[in-house]
Amino acid sequence: MRDTYHDQLDAIVQDLFQMSQLVARGVTQATAALTRADLALAEQVIEGDDAINALYRGVETQAFDLLARQQPVAGDLRVLVTSLRIVVDLERAGDYVVHLAKIARRRHPASAVPDALRGTVLEMGQTAQQILDKTGTVIATRDLELAAELEVDDDAMDALQKRLFTLVLQDGGQDIEAAIDATLAGRYYERLADHAVAVGHRVTYMVTGEHAEV
Amino acid sequence: MAKRIEAVDLDAYYGGFRAIEGVTLTIEPKSITALIGPSGCGKSTFLRTINRMHEVLPGARVTGQLLLDDEDVYGPGVDPVGVRRAIGMVFQRPNPFPTMSIYDNVVAGLRLNGVKKKGDLDDAAEQSLRSANLWNEVKDRLGKPGAGLSGGQQQRLCIARAVAVEPQVLLMDEPCSALDPISTLAIEDLMTELKDRYTIIIVTHNMQQAARVSDRTGFFTIDGPGTPGRLVEIDETPKIFSNPSEKRTEDYITGRFG
Ligand SMILES: Nc1ncnc2c1ncn2[C@@H]1O[C@H](COP(=O)(O)OP(=O)(O)OP(=O)(O)O)[C@@H](O)[C@H]1O
Ligand SMILES: [Mg+2]
Repeated sequence: MRDTYHDQLDAIVQDLFQMSQLVARGVTQATAALTRADLALAEQVIEGDDAINALYRGVETQAFDLLARQQPVAGDLRVLVTSLRIVVDLERAGDYVVHLAKIARRRHPASAVPDALRGTVLEMGQTAQQILDKTGTVIATRDLELAAELEVDDDAMDALQKRLFTLVLQDGGQDIEAAIDATLAGRYYERLADHAVAVGHRVTYMVTGEHAEV
Repeated sequence: MAKRIEAVDLDAYYGGFRAIEGVTLTIEPKSITALIGPSGCGKSTFLRTINRMHEVLPGARVTGQLLLDDEDVYGPGVDPVGVRRAIGMVFQRPNPFPTMSIYDNVVAGLRLNGVKKKGDLDDAAEQSLRSANLWNEVKDRLGKPGAGLSGGQQQRLCIARAVAVEPQVLLMDEPCSALDPISTLAIEDLMTELKDRYTIIIVTHNMQQAARVSDRTGFFTIDGPGTPGRLVEIDETPKIFSNPSEKRTEDYITGRFG
């Protein structure tokens, strides 16, 4: 009885891990779609969100089921309550990936990213992917040192966003639409990283029962 | 009035067998403490050491200290009967005096204590039955035998009997294990009301019940057959059920025990 229950708890965490991997892959593809004006890839990313949403609903249903039937306590309770919040962060992160892909789609066949910004956007995409990979590892291993690293990675993302803004402003407002899109994309990458940091905090709470210092 | 209970390095024996070892804890007055733990870990034994019911068995003895508001219950010259009178107990199976009426059941303890005036007994009976949430159900049949009540009503009758003598402490050993969910919730509500006046300790195998009603929860366990039970951890109930300090507590309450 309890074995099944604990397997079900593990399955929820496994689903969260899978979600983080899907978002990580999505952000890499969305960045490629943005910087290469690749419409097919952008569509693929947008459709890929269905899988993330399905996992989201699955985790929510499973968690409610276990809460209702197993009266989880202590560490088990923290896993469930934390999972219900992590799943929201990952789902939101997935939405930002879709927003990025939609910029690429909207601007097609033109490239949404001017040459002057391409390098920085690529870097943001890479940083986001690394952060999300790390988030997945944190979920799967509950490695709290790694969770703490996410804060530092997030600082790197914030710095990149600042650099992007500076470059946009230097451009002197020649292409307003490009400026808006670049600003939005920067914002989406930055928010994505914030959700990853939040996941790190939640895993820390799940393990220790203490709220991480923010 | 409600008293504070303090056990200091308490051991309890059945003949040569040490059933509990080294129990040290403090229970504040006007609080509910739940004791949980696997079968045979000594919860009932510990409960019975508090009101000196343990030593009633031949060969059973207690070492260490048990203080009721700084007075050692096992001190020289302390009358065990007086202790039992000051500390009410409710057992797993409702045990009303079967041939006595509902009324006589409730006031039995008071009569033993020498209360004779009908008016005083009537007042106490009504008040105790009201405390036990039973008055409305039995007020029209106080002369009928207590054994004619349902299990849940009998248990509440036993609680009324226990509180009628205004004990300082109320010990409850799995009081709801034979009751349906409604009667169980009624008794839990009752405990919450009673804690304004009494110090309550409840032994329960129902972890949700411990989580629902108690202010503090203590976890007892045994390392194996034949070994004495020990108190592993006692703490605020929300802490025990959200983030216990001891891994053994966590394993037990999450069902990873054994
Ligand atoms: N009258 C007795 N004579 C001898 N040994 C006893 C007696 N009563 C209890 N014991 C032993 O003392 C130990 C503790 O028993 P106790 O009844 O206190 O456990 P418990 O935690 O209340 O268990 P349960 O949850 O099953 O009620 C057990 O090993 C039990 O066999
Ligand atoms: Mg017992």
